[in-house]
Amino acid sequence: MDCETLITYLSDYIDNNLDEDLAAEAEEHLRTCHNCRVVLDSTQQAILLYRTQGKQRIPMQRRSRLFRQLEEALAGQDCE
Amino acid sequence: MTDEQALIAALRRRDKNALAEIFDRYSDRIYRLALSVLSDEQAADGVVQDTFMTLIERIDTFEGRSRLGTWLYRVAYNNALSRLRSLKPQLDLDGFDEDDVPIPANLVDWQTTPEELLGSAEAMAEVSRAVETLNPALRAVFLLRDVEELSTQETADALGISPGAVKVRLHRARLALREALAGYFSERLGM
Repeated sequence: MDCETLITYLSDYIDNNLDEDLAAEAEEHLRTCHNCRVVLDSTQQAILLYRTQGKQRIPMQRRSRLFRQLEEALAGQDCE
Repeated sequence: MTDEQALIAALRRRDKNALAEIFDRYSDRIYRLALSVLSDEQAADGVVQDTFMTLIERIDTFEGRSRLGTWLYRVAYNNALSRLRSLKPQLDLDGFDEDDVPIPANLVDWQTTPEELLGSAEAMAEVSRAVETLNPALRAVFLLRDVEELSTQETADALGISPGAVKVRLHRARLALREALAGYFSERLGM
């Protein structure tokens, strides 16, 4: 496997979506190619950072307001 | 009856606790999806509101062919896209070439970055800024796969696209974020 092919399969490799043969070829390439190893490690690190950063929640006050409006809508339907 | 079917049945009886439970489970996830598309908190609140209003209005006819979470995501995503089209009519949502996968250029090894810099507010802001530059169609896939940790098929169902498109978009988004962060960390570390 060459570098270009490894990069093409990088996401599938990270997600364990490669069949056994391709995964073995990727492993073999990664053992010997420093640059591809760096790309793999830094992509995994980038995903972890995004997972941490991306977990925003609706701020409490706005969340309560949104829920109150929905509760009223539900109660309104009940009276119909 | 599954837990989800029980909740749907209770909501059909206009049970307030069922609404609270469903809202608790899904509101933040829907908010994040809307925010990923719209990059606007107020508009994202509007999507959450519209999505749950649609659920309340349609609960009597909800057929349960898809899971509730998938159905809510789908409603929310379409709502967010239609808001985006009216907010930014010039934006091309397909403005990326699915076949054109970026080649990693910055090969600096930033694995040695100290924990305090990796987890710093500045680094997190950089992650946010980098994700922000992606096409909204890529951001939605990136969020559902790598933050919400949905499977490829679940993401495809939620967004109404093919599993193949999910894979391609995710790959592009990951490599783009990696490239941006490689640039940022190598500069911060003077490498």
